[in-house]
Amino acid sequence: MFDFAALVANENMKIYRRPRAWIMLGLLALLAAAVALIASASSSSPLEMWSMTSVMLMLLVPLANIFSVIIAADSVAGEFTGGTIKLLLIRPWTRSKVLLSKYVSVLIFVMFTLLVVYLSVLLINSAVFGYERGVSAEKAFGVLDPSLSAWSYYHQYFLLELISAAVGVTLAFMISAVFRSSALSIGLSLFLLLMGATLSQLLRLVDKPWVDYVLFQHLNLTRYIGSGGASGELHSGSPMTIGFSLAVLAGYYLVFMALSWFVFTKRDVAA
Amino acid sequence: MLSQPIVQLKQVTKRIGGKTIIDNLSLELPQGEVFGFLGPNGSGKTTTIRMMVGLMRMSEGDIVIGGSSIRTDYEKAIRHVGAIVENPEMYKYLTGYQNLLHYARMVPGISRNRIDEVIRLAGLDKRIEDKVKTYSLGMRQRLGVAQALLHKPSLLILDEPTNGLDPAGIRELRDYLRRLAAEEGTTVFVSSHLLSEMELMCDQAAIIQAGRLIDVRRLRGGEEADAAGIRMPVQMLFEVDRPDEAAALIRDAIRTADGVPAQVQVRSEAGAILLDARRADVAEINALLVRGGILVYGIRSAGKTLEEQFLEVTGGESVV
Repeated sequence: MFDFAALVANENMKIYRRPRAWIMLGLLALLAAAVALIASASSSSPLEMWSMTSVMLMLLVPLANIFSVIIAADSVAGEFTGGTIKLLLIRPWTRSKVLLSKYVSVLIFVMFTLLVVYLSVLLINSAVFGYERGVSAEKAFGVLDPSLSAWSYYHQYFLLELISAAVGVTLAFMISAVFRSSALSIGLSLFLLLMGATLSQLLRLVDKPWVDYVLFQHLNLTRYIGSGGASGELHSGSPMTIGFSLAVLAGYYLVFMALSWFVFTKRDVAA
Repeated sequence: MLSQPIVQLKQVTKRIGGKTIIDNLSLELPQGEVFGFLGPNGSGKTTTIRMMVGLMRMSEGDIVIGGSSIRTDYEKAIRHVGAIVENPEMYKYLTGYQNLLHYARMVPGISRNRIDEVIRLAGLDKRIEDKVKTYSLGMRQRLGVAQALLHKPSLLILDEPTNGLDPAGIRELRDYLRRLAAEEGTTVFVSSHLLSEMELMCDQAAIIQAGRLIDVRRLRGGEEADAAGIRMPVQMLFEVDRPDEAAALIRDAIRTADGVPAQVQVRSEAGAILLDARRADVAEINALLVRGGILVYGIRSAGKTLEEQFLEVTGGESVV
């Protein structure tokens, strides 16, 4: 087990010894600060902390996801593009373990980006606008449930974002393992991520039952918070619930993982 | 050599899309020798090496390294192996030291001391804290050799190791590899297209063409070869001013026990004569020529170089 930790340490070294990781993380914190300061300087009416939080999350969380997807898409493909995969694989480790160490380091990065967003939004907003106690999520984030506090919403929000981000990077990771080209897998992953929301809007117009099972319909989990457990409608007429969305995501997750593993462990390395 | 072969390739075959890339290749590498692997471009050298290190799967056959099959017992078999496959591609955004640390972490029991030792061996002391992207090709090659040696492998596989090295670097590497084989008993498997280089470096060489092993030759070492090298006559070339006269002189003066005149080839255009002679005879022939008033400009062995042998067995074909 200790040995496996060394593999993950290697993967982390390859992520964090590059300036780009710190530029990404720094950008998230910097953007949070910039938005807060500009808003507080330019607004005529006094702003409230939690409503600013709502605005900032809309901006920062997708950006954090983009950064995570870039790292995930480059994780395996970067080794192929650079040719370093050869020297990486000829060690006394099976390919599965090497791949797992890469996956673990990607998940750590996802958590790291979300943690940076979590902390910088909370701290910067509290510092600039003053921390507000006892605000309801109904007022701050516009949810239906009046009993939910903003503080509690904030935490549920990050928990659910972590789940959908994990599915998103697993998709990018799979594309990375299958296509073995950094540029292609970063491009394709970002395209899917950015087009996903638009695509899901478009698909709602399609009156077919399979639409309910399309991945992009389920990546926005935070809409379920404080909505009484259901949001939107399935084509069968019953409401779309968080349970259903999580089940669909789990299904995709398993497929992505199986494909990544199969392709990475079976294919010849000719890079 | 009496010792067990460290590597056995057993009827290895590789087919890609119906095309046979490697055809029934069997080879044994004895311990402690520098073994050359020659072949024209596209003959399957790199494919063979990729199969030896498990980057590619074999269609048929098996490769056993240190008693473990690369197919069924990969983690154990690969422990014996240090390798560079094609170009020594390292993480450019990391320093040389970080690169070595990366590979050191992947094998248990490599100390910081060992990393420092390998750095000194590769002659990278001064630049090891620089990022690899600032390295020249030769320095990357050295770093590649350093990472391959980290865990003291009993089999060192080097694909074109002299690529990008300057003459001093090539010589240094050659001496080091020979020492490694002689002193630590490491088997070194080197593929190269620099035939003269291989001739200086290797004990034996296998030649493959179109995925088939066509010849294994001993280039040095081995008791029989040593003994033979001294006693057997070698073709010698004398550069002289008047080849015809020189040839006549030798034919008259030197006869075999049966009275048959010595076989002398005349190469007028090159201003030289060729004949088979033992080492001891060379001085005598030279004295004879000088006494006969012939000017001798040079004497050298005209034994076939590996290059000539190589072209001979591969029929001079390049890509098949």
